[in-house]
Amino acid sequence: MSNVVPPSTSAIATEANAEERPRDLSAIRYYLTKLGGAALSLAMVIVLGFFAFKILPGDPVASIARQRQMTSEQMDLLREQFGLNKPLWQQFIDYLGNVFTLNFGESYVYKTSVASLISQYFWPTILLTGTAAILAIALGLWLGQKAAWRHGSGFDKMVSSTSLVFWSVPTFWLGLILLMVFGGTLQWFPTGGMRSPNPPSDPLGAAADIASHMVLPVITMVAVVYAQYLMVMRSSLIEEMSADYLTTARAKGLRDDLVRRRHAVPNALLPTVTLIFMHLGGLIAGAVTVETIFSWPGLGKLTYEAISGPDLPLLQGTFVVFSAIIIVMNLIADLIYRQLDPRVRRA
Amino acid sequence: MLTPLRTHRLRALAIGAAVACAAITIAPATAFAATPVPEATQGAEASATTFRIATSGFVDSFNPFISIYLLPTNSIRYMYESLVQNSAEDGSPTEGLAASWETDEDGRQWTYTLHKDMKWSDGEPITSADIKYTYEQMMTVPELGTANGNLVSNFDSVEAPDDLTLVINLTEPQASNPGSEIPVVPKHIWEKIEDPATYANDKDVVGSGSFVLKSYKANESIVLDANPNFWRGAPKIDKLQYVYYTNSDAQVQALKAGDVDFVTSLTPTQFAALQNVDGVTTHSGTGRRYHSLSINPGFQTRDGVAFGTGSEALKDVAVRQALRLGTDTKTLLDNVLEGQGVLATSFIPASFPKWTLATDNAAVVGFDPEAAQAKLEGAGWTVGADGIREKAGTKLQLRLLIDAEDTTEQSISEYFVPWMKNIGVGIQVESTDSDTLSAKATAADYDMYFSGWSVNPDPDYQLGINTCFNLPSGADGTGGTSQDGYCNPEFDALYNQQRSELDEGKRQAIVQDMLAMNYTDTVQVATWYANGLEAYRSDRFDGFTLQPAKGGIIANQAGYWGFLTVAPVEGGETSTGQSSNIGLYIVGSVVVLVVIGGILFARNRRRKQADVE
Repeated sequence: MSNVVPPSTSAIATEANAEERPRDLSAIRYYLTKLGGAALSLAMVIVLGFFAFKILPGDPVASIARQRQMTSEQMDLLREQFGLNKPLWQQFIDYLGNVFTLNFGESYVYKTSVASLISQYFWPTILLTGTAAILAIALGLWLGQKAAWRHGSGFDKMVSSTSLVFWSVPTFWLGLILLMVFGGTLQWFPTGGMRSPNPPSDPLGAAADIASHMVLPVITMVAVVYAQYLMVMRSSLIEEMSADYLTTARAKGLRDDLVRRRHAVPNALLPTVTLIFMHLGGLIAGAVTVETIFSWPGLGKLTYEAISGPDLPLLQGTFVVFSAIIIVMNLIADLIYRQLDPRVRRA
Repeated sequence: MLTPLRTHRLRALAIGAAVACAAITIAPATAFAATPVPEATQGAEASATTFRIATSGFVDSFNPFISIYLLPTNSIRYMYESLVQNSAEDGSPTEGLAASWETDEDGRQWTYTLHKDMKWSDGEPITSADIKYTYEQMMTVPELGTANGNLVSNFDSVEAPDDLTLVINLTEPQASNPGSEIPVVPKHIWEKIEDPATYANDKDVVGSGSFVLKSYKANESIVLDANPNFWRGAPKIDKLQYVYYTNSDAQVQALKAGDVDFVTSLTPTQFAALQNVDGVTTHSGTGRRYHSLSINPGFQTRDGVAFGTGSEALKDVAVRQALRLGTDTKTLLDNVLEGQGVLATSFIPASFPKWTLATDNAAVVGFDPEAAQAKLEGAGWTVGADGIREKAGTKLQLRLLIDAEDTTEQSISEYFVPWMKNIGVGIQVESTDSDTLSAKATAADYDMYFSGWSVNPDPDYQLGINTCFNLPSGADGTGGTSQDGYCNPEFDALYNQQRSELDEGKRQAIVQDMLAMNYTDTVQVATWYANGLEAYRSDRFDGFTLQPAKGGIIANQAGYWGFLTVAPVEGGETSTGQSSNIGLYIVGSVVVLVVIGGILFARNRRRKQADVE
């Protein structure tokens, strides 16, 4: 069977072999370790989220007031409003107190709470990256198992190399090319945003409007990321194919197609599950580029604008949220793996 | 290997997911069938003429007391009329809410007479009490002075003796009209707002301008409705709409596709790319920004404490002048900016011809490397073995900070470095991010860097930040808004003189002298006044008013003229705001194909499985 075991599970494997112990105790211990690790990472992210942006050069007020006709009194007032006149430790205490209530303070630019901005921009990102993730995973896994089953064939070579070409293409470039060809020149799809300037008011029309705005960004995201699912599935299945149980299955007289679908693929899927969850976190973080090209009103674009601001509370907020998503996804990957693979559980 | 039970569960899960996906995608699919052309659902919206402008700007707030970003302040110019407006002709003061005004002899008291029968967009009368209320809020509540506090800093008191008269009493005499640039809000609305400093003011606004804000959806769109009560008369279109495009290349594509009607702030390359597009007209107009090479003359605080890391050599005015003589701004304009601009003389742009330093002023010199070499020679800098000049064992080696993300600055430095080498000055280019750059500029931690400002029609502010009074108060560079660390008592004396000179001709002459003085002192080399590069759907709209009227810009004016007069083209196809239907059909067809394919596939598979099991 596959030896693609995530590093995080190797500790458990040794532990499992060590001694017989009550089954649920080891399970609790496993979950506690994983949860504790995630909580620790999150705590570090929160602390880093403060200091990483505090050591950035420059005075946010000076940047905001750059080339504007302002008196120094006006600038002092802004500094006071942003709480920048307080000593650093005081700002840190305030920040910590706020983060635990999911309050990242008020955005310098939007003059509104970071929490409300993030919750407002969160769902468009989930819609876009969620759709792209489902399609990329489905396409990647499907093509991956086909390619593996016929590995070495022309089909395999073509599918693998195409995906690798897309994978190596810069997202920004691919997005812009699609935008220019299908948006500007052919005018088949809208050139940006999530809705038309005056969207249809009926729900179906509005859904269609959003769907047509999603096409180009989704294609861009899928094209760039499906290769990683394809390659993992392909290598996992190729390894699986040499296993004895497949020979047994064939010997039973099962059709080749069924052997692949019913016996080989489900087992080969195991290592891909963890990777899918790990990649999902990355995919959401990767939304920054795609959302910026297609002016999609999501967290990625919000982050891009926070950087250009620079809007420190907003940057801190998006940084913590993105990091939290990745940490949670990795945690889910660990937990699911344990559920799916009996070897991790066996004790 | 999975147990049969588990495979069944997995399959159930997969089918469930497929059904859910189909449900999500089928909804839009049926929409195509039911409403092939969504315009039908738009009704009245579609018949309204909407002029759509692409934007990437930030919106901090639509509250005129606190908003400081360009996009909202531009919108606020349309929403709230000010007492006095900057004319389209050349930016000089013209009628706003006030029909006329006069000053007392020493320019300390300004009396304004308002137009009769003006109304807010909700029909309430506009009176001098509204103006008095607005100004007094800014004068007394510090938070409400965030945006324009500097404009009322010289106000002593404001009186409204009757509905049509407003009197402003100033502490110091002032030549620039105190009634300009301040948006006036309706008292009957704002006095009821509990905390005006945090009020968002982002829907159903009551205003006095040509358009008032109807709705705002962060990062999606801003809609302004025409105000039928505007005192100059209702606009010829029904709505102005700003549509968000983060990426400027996307804006260009949106204009080509007809998704928007107007784009601004194009790069020369984008501008060229739009020049031969059907239905699109490009426009290059004199902007109100200047671009310059800032030279550190040796910073000091207001109390005379020197600070910063500027080169000793640059404290000698002859060296700074040599840098100017050795710089060919004409070549820079032609090659870096592709000619899309005007050669600069000072920090007052050519779009304000009354004030800008005349090109034939005696102080103005051209590109002259020999003269530059002579200047340096005269200052005691002799050419060393490596071609770099030396004086008392020190090499004439200078740092030039550039913004790593700014291709213009990179291109300029590629020309600048060899030019300086030619006159014996070594340049070390240090590329950094814009925040570091801005921090270093504040702390005077530079020899040279590229700078630029957007300038308002009255030169007072820009002149003021070049006086000794605006030097930083702290030795870390804070507490001041000095433009280039410039300080010359003679300049300051002239500044005070122009500030209270009510005779415009005399004031112009003083300003010319000041600009010439700043030019000779060379704390900066103004390179160019870049043109505003814009493009619009001329197959749908025309009738833009430029500022300045001769060869000016449409967007980003110091006024509201650009979109005030825009009108639909006769017989032109006006926008419906709808995205292309082809896209919808493609999405629909793909979804339908996938669903049908999925059903067939599933049926086929079930049959096969039945054969085996």
